[in-house]
Amino acid sequence: MAAYIARRIGVSILILIAASFIMYVLAAGSGDPLRDLRGGNAANEAQLIAARVSALDLDVPAPLRWFLWLGGAAKCLVPFANSCDLGLTLDNAPVATILPTAMVSTLQLVTVATVVAIILGVVIGIVTALRQYSGFDIATTFLSFFLFSLPSFLIAVLLKEFIAIGFNDFLQDGAAIPAWLIVVIALVAGLIWMVLIGGSRRRRLIVFGVSAVATGAVLVYVSLTSWFLFPGLGPVGLLVVLAGVVFITTSLVSGLANRRALLASAITAAFVYIAFFVLQGLFTISSAFTLIFIAVAALVVGIVVGFLVGGSDRGQAVRAGAITGIVSMLLVFLDRFMQAWPSYVESGRINGRPIATVGSGTPGLTGDVWVTGIDSFTHLLLPTIALLLISFAQYTRYARAGLLEVLNQDYIRTARAKGLPERTVIMRHAFRNMLIPIATIVATDVGALLGGAVITEKVFAISGMGNLFATALGRTDLNPIMGYFIVIAIVAIAFNFLADLAYAALDPRVRVR
Amino acid sequence: MSQGMLEVTPEPHGPTGDRSDAVAGKSQGRIIFDRFLQNRISVVSLFVLVLIVLFAFSATGIGPIPGWWKYDYRSLNDQAGAPTLSLWPFALGEHPFGQNRIGVDYFALVMRGIQNSLIVMVVIGGLGTVVGTVVGAIAGYYRGWVDAVLMRITDVFIVIPAIVIGAVVGQTAGSGGLGVWFLSILLALVSWMSIARLVRAEFLSLREREFVEAARVAGASDLRIIFKHILPNAVGVVIVSATLLAASAILLETGLSYLGYGIRSPESSLGLLISDNQSAFSTRPWLYWWPALFIVSLALLVNFVGDGLRDAFDPRQKRFKRRKMREFVEAAQPQVSLKAPKSPTS
Amino acid sequence: MKIRRIGIGAIALAAASALMLSGCTTSAPDQSKGNKGTITVATTNEATSFNSSTPQGNLDTNGMIVYLTGTAGTSAGASLGGFFTLDDKFQVKHNDNIGTYEKVSDDPLTVKYTLKDDLKWSDGKPITADDLLVGWAIGSGYYNDSTIDEATGDVTGGTQYFSLAGSTDGLDKTAFPEVSDDNLSLTLTYSEPFVDWELANLLDKPAHVLADKAGVSEEDFIKTLKDTPKGDPANPVAPNATLKAAADFWNTGYDFTSFPDDKSLLVSSGPFIVSAYTPQQSITFSKNPEYKGSDEPAYDELVLRFIGDSNAQVTALQNGEVNAIYPQASADTLTALKNANLETFEGNQLSYDHLDLNFGSPVFQDPKVREAFLKTIPRQQILDSIVTPVNPDAKVLNSQIFVPANPEYSDAVAASGYDSFDKPDIEGAKALLAGATPTVRILYNTDNPNRVDSFQAIQASAAQAGFNIVDAGSPDWASLLPGGDYDASVFGWISPGAGNAALAQIFKTAGGGNYSKYSNASVDEMVNQAQTELDADALSKLKIDIDAQTAKDFYGLPLFQAPGLFASNGTVDGIKFFGNQTGIVWNAQDWTLKG
Repeated sequence: MAAYIARRIGVSILILIAASFIMYVLAAGSGDPLRDLRGGNAANEAQLIAARVSALDLDVPAPLRWFLWLGGAAKCLVPFANSCDLGLTLDNAPVATILPTAMVSTLQLVTVATVVAIILGVVIGIVTALRQYSGFDIATTFLSFFLFSLPSFLIAVLLKEFIAIGFNDFLQDGAAIPAWLIVVIALVAGLIWMVLIGGSRRRRLIVFGVSAVATGAVLVYVSLTSWFLFPGLGPVGLLVVLAGVVFITTSLVSGLANRRALLASAITAAFVYIAFFVLQGLFTISSAFTLIFIAVAALVVGIVVGFLVGGSDRGQAVRAGAITGIVSMLLVFLDRFMQAWPSYVESGRINGRPIATVGSGTPGLTGDVWVTGIDSFTHLLLPTIALLLISFAQYTRYARAGLLEVLNQDYIRTARAKGLPERTVIMRHAFRNMLIPIATIVATDVGALLGGAVITEKVFAISGMGNLFATALGRTDLNPIMGYFIVIAIVAIAFNFLADLAYAALDPRVRVR
Repeated sequence: MSQGMLEVTPEPHGPTGDRSDAVAGKSQGRIIFDRFLQNRISVVSLFVLVLIVLFAFSATGIGPIPGWWKYDYRSLNDQAGAPTLSLWPFALGEHPFGQNRIGVDYFALVMRGIQNSLIVMVVIGGLGTVVGTVVGAIAGYYRGWVDAVLMRITDVFIVIPAIVIGAVVGQTAGSGGLGVWFLSILLALVSWMSIARLVRAEFLSLREREFVEAARVAGASDLRIIFKHILPNAVGVVIVSATLLAASAILLETGLSYLGYGIRSPESSLGLLISDNQSAFSTRPWLYWWPALFIVSLALLVNFVGDGLRDAFDPRQKRFKRRKMREFVEAAQPQVSLKAPKSPTS
Repeated sequence: MKIRRIGIGAIALAAASALMLSGCTTSAPDQSKGNKGTITVATTNEATSFNSSTPQGNLDTNGMIVYLTGTAGTSAGASLGGFFTLDDKFQVKHNDNIGTYEKVSDDPLTVKYTLKDDLKWSDGKPITADDLLVGWAIGSGYYNDSTIDEATGDVTGGTQYFSLAGSTDGLDKTAFPEVSDDNLSLTLTYSEPFVDWELANLLDKPAHVLADKAGVSEEDFIKTLKDTPKGDPANPVAPNATLKAAADFWNTGYDFTSFPDDKSLLVSSGPFIVSAYTPQQSITFSKNPEYKGSDEPAYDELVLRFIGDSNAQVTALQNGEVNAIYPQASADTLTALKNANLETFEGNQLSYDHLDLNFGSPVFQDPKVREAFLKTIPRQQILDSIVTPVNPDAKVLNSQIFVPANPEYSDAVAASGYDSFDKPDIEGAKALLAGATPTVRILYNTDNPNRVDSFQAIQASAAQAGFNIVDAGSPDWASLLPGGDYDASVFGWISPGAGNAALAQIFKTAGGGNYSKYSNASVDEMVNQAQTELDADALSKLKIDIDAQTAKDFYGLPLFQAPGLFASNGTVDGIKFFGNQTGIVWNAQDWTLKG
């Protein structure tokens, strides 16, 4: 395994070098980096040109200049030496210093969009496959393709118009949901659940009624308490939600019949619930690192609990405990973020309109990790949605096709024939195999998302990598182009690598060589 | 275990229902065609798609041949503005889709845009799929160093996003922009990677199957095995990706136009029209919605046609109903062993 | 035994966790800082420099920074912390918050600048005549002994210290100034009359900062200025090290890509001071604590957010993320703003779009071809599609020098006859061409939808007369403009609204902005006269004559005066349209927040 990883890293570096050469020569040939000076009316034009030529080695032909660039870039591999040299921009700013600020928002965007797109896409793909040619299937296919076919800047306009401005108006009007909307949402939710759960006519009607009433009741509560202005789960809400987490996690991981897994999950959730009360004081003074530490601690607690109560089938109990631990702790964090929401919304710089349409942060906003976290959330929400819709449709299609393919395999028929419960058939036998094509396209999809970020960042005025690239390309500013390229190439390669590992893990026929 | 030749030797009473195509004497192409005709959504989609293609190409003409529409997409007319199209009573009016800012007939522009976008779509979808399939098939079939080399080349291309290459080349091309054909061929050459990877993955697993072994024993050449035996089994995944690729091709071109590196005016493409008129979103929405309508329609239609094709090539996936399946399995428990597909015949 | 070990392990783990946790926490933040009173304005371009007087720093957002913080100098001119501002009629308004300046004699032209007593820079250092002397040294090019190639504008010998985007015209005719004993006033004597003497703002970057960057004390720096002789291009000498160091810093040291650690770059004389900068996102101004003028702003902070996309600006305004915007004016943007019930402020910008013919290109050597081409330009249609929706009263512009608001405009139109080119005369053009089909390559900015529209309209119309129009447009049009590799160009001139420097730049042979290689001896003569003409009527006459002569030579056609647009969401009072490139912040000191 170690040898495999080492070889993969070696190969990746070679790929990176080859691709960077292609990119360098192409980008260098795309224009004249001295154009602005040649056209300018500066009196010391010749001097400025000479200065730039010597600063950027423009007198060296591009293929040779690439070696100079590579030499500087290679220094980035030396750990902790801080000797990274990715060259200068046309404005004499070192690329190595402007890159990190640009990287943060783009990587945030792309990572969240990828993860959410995969999860949503796979879930919806599974459901549409299980309900093939149902109304839900056709509607989802239509919707996902509709969203997929809309250019991202058009989606951006729609999101800004309806989500940002609409939701902010709604908040400013006191966050009361109109009655007709409650009815419509309740009916739609009822319909969706009905189609999803299926069954006989009577069962469908019951599902429809129960889910519509439940949705309606929650919405009425939310509306009456102006929940969106003062959100929060509270001790009671959290207890209910945690119970749900225990139930769903266990039933997906092992089935409720596995009492030890259920016990592990429940004990972990109980620990987290206690932590919810104990840690509130710590949360007030927390930094991002504290939160990561606490989340990891919750994960460890889940694993330990699973290990201790697991008995004979330890693996499942450990898995149930770990998933419950981390998910529950994230919910506790979510509750704390919600507690910080009113102070954020009412801050003088937000003026009661939290969902933002431009930029990656409110200028000059200061606050603790919760407030700044919410600020990032409100700014990155819309761009992330715009970005994830690019790949969301693709994942639903592949997941649907993949599951349909798998469900027709003999081993699934065999599994069904031997009387295994449907959950086991889908989760144990079909799910893994369905993920194989998904793992294959993740790598290429991340590349597409990174490309798509160029447009998304432009529309939302976010100063990320894409913006950096677009500006630099317009001026034939080679070093920032290459800086951009290096980052996205490394991300693409990393995802590629992860996909290959996942691939090997999922498909026993593929050996890690 | 083999399932490869299902379409040649269909099960006599499978859970998939209708088996009307199992009539002896039909060629495989004929069988596929007949199956495709049974899928109503796909047939209607194909029909509408063909209609749009004919409509767009005949309206503005092809090359030197003039079309039937009275305005050229490059000529100025007196300003009028809003669309004159009315559905009831149906009348095209002077400018059915309205006019753009400077008074060019928008119907002519949109029709020309559909032409160019279709070219982009077909070239990228077609060429990209062919390149990707060939690369993936060869890599997956031969494995070893061939696979390693081809996949590393694929990795090099994956590392550079298509839109980035497109932007860099578009910048090089300068003010005229790239022509439609050159642009789409170029983009096709950088968009085949996901198909290559998918096809390779399919081939890696399919080549281990018995029917491939049987074909090899029977003395079939590598090429024959790849294209006659394995590829038809991987056609589902190829068609799904080809339709997605064709749909995303329009969007890629749209994105490039938005950044200013795609097709440029006075030429027209659906993406260019949308990005040119984005400020008109709330004021002259028709400038926005006509091209958007056609982009969405083309992408959806291509997808539905692709769905039908996949089902036609791969009958196992057709009309799969879990409930029916379970009932069937429960009812016919003892027959399960009989239902294993027959071994391949070639 | 085993249990004990686990117990110890658990204690150790808990202790380590506690330690780690305490290491990663922050103290509870204080929310006490008043967050009321911030006005946020969207601008299209990013800020890149605190000095907008250099060629690379001469961009609109940098100009706004300099205007608000007051360190404008002679090149940028008007600023809130300088000697004058412009009012909304583009009349020079002396800024008595800083000091006074007046003409004390006509012959020779003598101007006396007097600073108010007890003025301070934002870092607490006094503002004195030393600062004015430095401003003069920068703006006059007194010490330069460089030889400049007339054709290319390149330095071919000697030293040019301060690199200015504008020219040293006018101030280069001044002798070394006299400084009063109290070090508060400075007197300039011009060797010949200078028409724009009122536009010479002598307050540039602070003397003490430049001295510090040159590595000397302020006294020594001033002494260097006094001791260094006037530069003589005929006898270039070795550059003065101190002056060169200060000039080099002034030329490039004010450019930034992140918020500078060196706070001396931010030193301001105006009501605002830069207090924060997030690259590519925003720049924040707070009140200058040392500013004692009467126009102190009534709010805490002013934020300029950089939003390139006009549509994004409109939604951000609608959503309350910004209080006011300054988008590119187009009919669609205006309607979108009105539909959203936002306040709009429309007006004419001090810029006009025009079609220029390249006199260096072989196609246009024949005046008949020039005339024929101009006859095909559909100026009314261009106006109708671009400007009329924003400004229904707009008329085709018929002068290269005046706008309809100027009193001289109607006389100029009568003299030049540009109004006869209103509508295309295809038949007339065909007659002049007599069957020829010249190819014309037109350069324009493909990123500006208005220019694209103009180009397409011209292309369609000129083709009817037999011209073969080639699209030579580019997003980098500005850098392609001086090269001359095109036959005609469509672009806009922006003028500061006051002064006559543009005449020499545009119409004089080999002038800095004479991209169309136009050359006419009588125009050159008139332009030179205009530079030293102090009598207003005579000056008007000269300018009308220049306008008429260029029309006779078929120089090109003015198209329209560009419409301008500000908008706010009603949260700020006091916004008023202003057509100069300072843009929306021109009266930021007068704004008040509602509610």
